[in-house]
Amino acid sequence: MTEKKALKKAVLKSCAFAAIIGILITMLSPVFIWKTMHRGKLQEGMYDSDDQYDVIFMGSSHMNGGVDPNVLWKEKGITSFNYATGGQPIEVTYYLLKDILKKHKNPVVVLDVFYLGMTTQYGEFSYLSNSIDNMDFSWNKLEAIWNCVPLGDRISYLFPFLKYHFRWSSLQKNDLTFDNASVYYAKGFEASTDRYGKDISSVQKTENRIDIPPESLDYLNKIVALCKEQNCSLMFVNMPCDYSDTDGAATYVDDFEALFNSVADYADEHGIPFLDFYDRMDEVNLDFANDMHNASHLNLNGAYKVSDYFADYLMQNYNLTDHRSDSAYAQWDADFQKSQVASILS
Amino acid sequence: MSIVSAFFPPMIACTCLVYYLLPHRFRWGWLLAVSYIFYLTFDVRYAVFLLISTFSTYISGILISNSATAGKKKLWVVLTCVLNFGVLIVFKYLKFLGSAYAVIASAVGIKASSPTFTLLLPIGISFYTFQAITYTIDVYRGDVKPEDHFGKYALFVSFFPTLVSGPIQKAKEMLPKFDEVHEFDYEKARRGGLLILYGYFQKMAVADRLGVVVDTVFGHPAQYQGAVSVLASLFYTLQIYFDFAGYSNIAIGVSEMLGFDLKANFNRPYFSETVQEFWRRWHVSLSTWFRDYLYIPLGGNRCSVPRQALNLMIVSGVCGLWHGPSFAFLAWGLLHGSYQVIGKFTRRFRNGLWKKLGVNPASGQLHVPRVAATFLLVSFAWIFFRMNSLRNALAFIQGMFRFDLPALWNGAIFNLGLSAPEFCAVCIGILVIWVVDSLSRKMDLRDWILRRGTAVRWSFYVATVLVLLTFGIYGEATSTQQFIYAKF
Repeated sequence: MTEKKALKKAVLKSCAFAAIIGILITMLSPVFIWKTMHRGKLQEGMYDSDDQYDVIFMGSSHMNGGVDPNVLWKEKGITSFNYATGGQPIEVTYYLLKDILKKHKNPVVVLDVFYLGMTTQYGEFSYLSNSIDNMDFSWNKLEAIWNCVPLGDRISYLFPFLKYHFRWSSLQKNDLTFDNASVYYAKGFEASTDRYGKDISSVQKTENRIDIPPESLDYLNKIVALCKEQNCSLMFVNMPCDYSDTDGAATYVDDFEALFNSVADYADEHGIPFLDFYDRMDEVNLDFANDMHNASHLNLNGAYKVSDYFADYLMQNYNLTDHRSDSAYAQWDADFQKSQVASILS
Repeated sequence: MSIVSAFFPPMIACTCLVYYLLPHRFRWGWLLAVSYIFYLTFDVRYAVFLLISTFSTYISGILISNSATAGKKKLWVVLTCVLNFGVLIVFKYLKFLGSAYAVIASAVGIKASSPTFTLLLPIGISFYTFQAITYTIDVYRGDVKPEDHFGKYALFVSFFPTLVSGPIQKAKEMLPKFDEVHEFDYEKARRGGLLILYGYFQKMAVADRLGVVVDTVFGHPAQYQGAVSVLASLFYTLQIYFDFAGYSNIAIGVSEMLGFDLKANFNRPYFSETVQEFWRRWHVSLSTWFRDYLYIPLGGNRCSVPRQALNLMIVSGVCGLWHGPSFAFLAWGLLHGSYQVIGKFTRRFRNGLWKKLGVNPASGQLHVPRVAATFLLVSFAWIFFRMNSLRNALAFIQGMFRFDLPALWNGAIFNLGLSAPEFCAVCIGILVIWVVDSLSRKMDLRDWILRRGTAVRWSFYVATVLVLLTFGIYGEATSTQQFIYAKF
């Protein structure tokens, strides 16, 4: 064999070998990925369920445990889904929204803007994994990995097996049999029943403004453009939170209230409604000590109050249909009965 | 760039491909560029140290060969050694020397405190300094011609597969290889690939997993005792071998793919019958360096018995300190020196004793007890190597003698960082390496694998890589163990 032929043979065989390994570890990835509510809800909500939604909720853990689609269904017959995940950077929200809108047409998009205040270039490893690892493979997912993940980590998002391989010693039957549909009834919402027990340390009021961090602004613009292109109404929301809990944290802006003043200006400029629940805690009759499970997240009670308010707000301001009398939506009634909120409303 | 990073395998593939596509006259340049890029990914400041070592030893070759008298030649050797070892001493040992001074001064009633400064310590400096100095000394001895080509010489010092953790190459053996014209050899590349896979298995799947228990117990010696401490000590004995041998195999495998044949750095060291034999089988490149460039110049075996003993102790002490700037490393080295001195000078007495007991010391009857005894002596010494201080090492040893045998079967061993399945996996891994080491004595295992049919071979390759990717310790979710020897 000549040297050139030998080299060609080696290159081709190496590529074939790498491809085989890539395929095998891609096939093994779903077994090793954590089977969590986040996985179930993103897989069902984005890809597996055929339900269409009048409203979709996007954002961070503030939203994940903040707005309950089962309350919107119960109170006003609005179909909705909560795609928020803990620590979700705004750039990840953009790429998730792109995937959602491939299958789900013209929903009202409600965006939790808390993570506009993130100042680091990339989100935290486990939070990124919770969201991106539960996206189906697509060009959009590749873009998400390229733009949202540090260079050294990208291979483990392309092949999540490389990230979760260590679970080999603790795999359970659930890892092979997990049914994403088993958590669908919650419509992506999950909240704690713990009570924080403390009032908000201070309600910060200011007329100051600070710039929206550049990367956040860039992706906010992209979300606005995407919604326009896809003919979706967009609104912003900010959940109740004690900002002093994040004071001094290296990953956030120093002054959230000033930030959300700038967000309000942005919203006005673009004709986007902005519900800042930090300023509306009295309106929703929020009892900080009892309706929050910690300084920055609503508990089940608090989420009910906010969701109930939201249901009214959405019905009054958007052309939504009450589907409660439509037999095609009977499953939504059944799902409500299994939900967390049903236990406190009964 | 760490060898366990995801970037390393594609980097090797790309390096090899371009290497063989380039005409021979450009290949040194490509490897030099790759070597420096590889090194600079650790820290760009390290390049300064590498260049000092490279340039000074390169110049020494020219100065030595142009010197008319032996005295002048020697002077250049001394100056080059002073410069290179001086840099090493300052950046690696200054703090230790300050601490040693503080200890001695305090003992004689002089007030002195240990230094608190921290200096930059370039990764691999101990390795490439020793490697570069072989050139100076080999030129002085006439074993190698001075190298005109600075680029090729710089490549010798910085050759990336061996730069960070060896094997240390001698100039007289390695320099000529850069003039060899390497044609891509498919069989050699496959052999190199297999050795790399095995090296990764030793390091990632077994050594790093053993390290979980070792770190737990050695990190909190006061909390553990008896059988658990003994187990951790045995685990460390295996961890350091698998870790370093694994790295060496990766380095040798990569070199093989590029057409460079390097000598093995380990030869089943834990099957040695004496500590002296252990040092002929363990980190062979370092022990031969010390033999050729320190022990023999000191007089080696060609001097009086007391002087031989002194030479052994000096070399062992320096070897200990080479590994790390602390009294614990010095103690480890001196312990090995003592083992060898006592072993060497009591051999006749011991053999006489066996004969009186009716055992022929030259027969194979004593093989197993000798191997076991050597293993225990070496394993004991590793405690000093692993502990960061003499005090901790002695406390650990004290703890080993507190009875706690039930810990072996009451589940306590599964609370050291490894669950039962992981413990099982590490035991299987140790068994695999033992089998491979044993078989390698009698056959060329790589050749045997490569002669199997395509289906068997590819199944083996795929299975090995999947085992590595599944059971290997890597990634952010589990802490990646840095190579134990890289800090030298």
